[in-house]
Amino acid sequence: MDTIHTDIELASVSKSYPLGRSRVPIFEDLTLHIPTGDFLAIMGPSGSGKSTILNLIGGIDQADAGTISIGGTALGRMGERALTRWRARNIGFVFQFYNLMPRLSAAENVELPLLLTPLSARERRERVLTILDIVGLSDRARHLPSELSGGQQQRIGIARAVASDPRILLCDEPTGDLDRKSANEILDLLQMLNRELGKTIVMVTHDDSATRVARRTLLLDKGRFVARQEMPACA
Amino acid sequence: MPLPMTSFLRQTLALTRSNLRSLPRRTGIAASMVLSVALVVIVLLAFLSMAQGFRRTLQSTGAQDIAVVTSRGAFSESTSRLSTRQIHMLEAAPGLARKADGRALTSEELLVPVDAIRTSDGQTATLSMRGVAPGGMALHEGLTLSQGHMFTPGSAEIIVGDRLAGRYRDLGIGQHISFGHSTWTVVGHFSAGGSAFESEIMADAGTVQAMFDRPGDIQSMRAKLTSAAAFPAFRDYVETTLDMGLSARTEKDFFAAQAGNVSRIILFLGWPLAVIMAFGAAVGAMTTMLSSVSDRLTEIATVRALGYARGPVFLATLAESLMLTLVGCALGSALAWACLNGFGASTRGAGNTQLAFQLTFSGMIVGQAVVLALLIGVAGGGLPALRATRIPLRIAMSGRG
Ligand SMILES: Nc1ncnc2c1ncn2[C@@H]1O[C@H](COP(=O)(O)OP(=O)(O)O)[C@@H](O)[C@H]1O
Ligand SMILES: [Mg+2]
Repeated sequence: MDTIHTDIELASVSKSYPLGRSRVPIFEDLTLHIPTGDFLAIMGPSGSGKSTILNLIGGIDQADAGTISIGGTALGRMGERALTRWRARNIGFVFQFYNLMPRLSAAENVELPLLLTPLSARERRERVLTILDIVGLSDRARHLPSELSGGQQQRIGIARAVASDPRILLCDEPTGDLDRKSANEILDLLQMLNRELGKTIVMVTHDDSATRVARRTLLLDKGRFVARQEMPACA
Repeated sequence: MPLPMTSFLRQTLALTRSNLRSLPRRTGIAASMVLSVALVVIVLLAFLSMAQGFRRTLQSTGAQDIAVVTSRGAFSESTSRLSTRQIHMLEAAPGLARKADGRALTSEELLVPVDAIRTSDGQTATLSMRGVAPGGMALHEGLTLSQGHMFTPGSAEIIVGDRLAGRYRDLGIGQHISFGHSTWTVVGHFSAGGSAFESEIMADAGTVQAMFDRPGDIQSMRAKLTSAAAFPAFRDYVETTLDMGLSARTEKDFFAAQAGNVSRIILFLGWPLAVIMAFGAAVGAMTTMLSSVSDRLTEIATVRALGYARGPVFLATLAESLMLTLVGCALGSALAWACLNGFGASTRGAGNTQLAFQLTFSGMIVGQAVVLALLIGVAGGGLPALRATRIPLRIAMSGRG
């Protein structure tokens, strides 16, 4: 694996949400370090702020206080445009409900992030085919999401997330809506992306078998991280 | 990015494609937007084609080497009066074509309003009856009898424009019709190249003066000039040398001026109505587009999370709005075309009399409807499109597809 450092650094981060005139804290003074190449599973009760952490790391929500920096770049300092471009290059999102464009084919969905790159139409088509092959859905390129099973849709979601080769994948309960068998396939796919392609993965999950593929698991509870299990980082 | 503009366009196209393909999810509300725009377009096109048809009718009328003299400031012949002395002076004007005996080729004319009954609904309508001096018919070029014969000077005979003949009672050849205390016999029908004269009834000027108790009453004088080039000198004589409060125009200008006035009146009625309706349609469009945005919240938040910029999100939403209004415009134009093009209509023409004409479409008119439709699209789609760019992106995480 190459050595470009994309360590994720949360330093004294606080986040609250408005409730009437006051604000309710989700967490305060939260600190977290995720080294390049890590596969971190975050577990914890519903409403503890797991998704919020992914939103903050992915630059689609802003912290009230503290700094979030990735590869040494502080997200809070970036303007809206710069942040949008930064996301396109550095972050892949995987959603619980896949969030595929319902009227675009599997291939068109995977192509979406590639339209943000300077790749030509031919290069994009080749890239889409390669990635569909990696996720094992080459024969489903022309299918609409509604013509695919949940597990297949999530694999398209993952293909879309890695299409433009970002260093970091943020997955919010990627197996939350899947049966056991499909869930395991998704976890194996994510593990492969981490182990073989060196993607840094932060995955929020309720799925206990996630600990099987993750390098380490943290429990978020009452605004604090508790280590559940350590595995050797960076093979 | 090395090619930011290309990327911007690609993003916009991809989002527009996804957006338009998802339209079937919103068929009902999208259809209501299309229909409301179609309605506005139909109303606008009806007025514009009416004004256009009116202008065409009057503009096809009139020669350049025939002058029409009226009192200065008279909007139409019916508000003009010429005295015997004025007529006498006019006959000495330079540039007039003259017969072998030296007499000028002129026609002293008057218009009187007469009532006739429409065959379609039995309602009374006011028509124009023109009294023409003996020999004056020579000054109505392009007027040809399509049936029957010319009225005889001194008799109560009339000839009737083709456009009136079928539409009003008792105007068939050989029929008798009463106007006030007088009874007239229809002896001929005439056409006049689609011009305004086709909406008139013509008779001998002396008989009209006698029958309507207006002895010596003359409203306008038509005069044949030696050529179109003789007009400026003729006008100078009439308006400046004589200084009797008279105005001279070529017949062509005379009708064009009336056409301008009346079609402007039609437009002054039509545009405000269309604009008010367009406001309503824009409000409807906004409702439709807001629902389109809320229908796509997760999709929009997701592509924004993927790194799509605000601009393409804005444009793709606006594109949907414009596309729906253009479909509405096409539908409205097609319906208006099918129902209205060439449809005969009549309006109160100069002197409060009926003037029949055909509604006429043209590219210019449809172009105006397209512009109005696009304005509706921008007005209705702008705010929702802006809203689409302000969606909190965390919706991507929480929302269910
Ligand atoms: N914009 C918001 N408005 C109101 N409540 C919010 C908002 N964002 C997050 N929350 C609340 O913050 C808490 C943490 O949310 P979230 O990060 O989604 O939790 P988790 O993913 O762990 O279930 C929840 O109680 C949620 O209801
Ligand atoms: Mg969550």
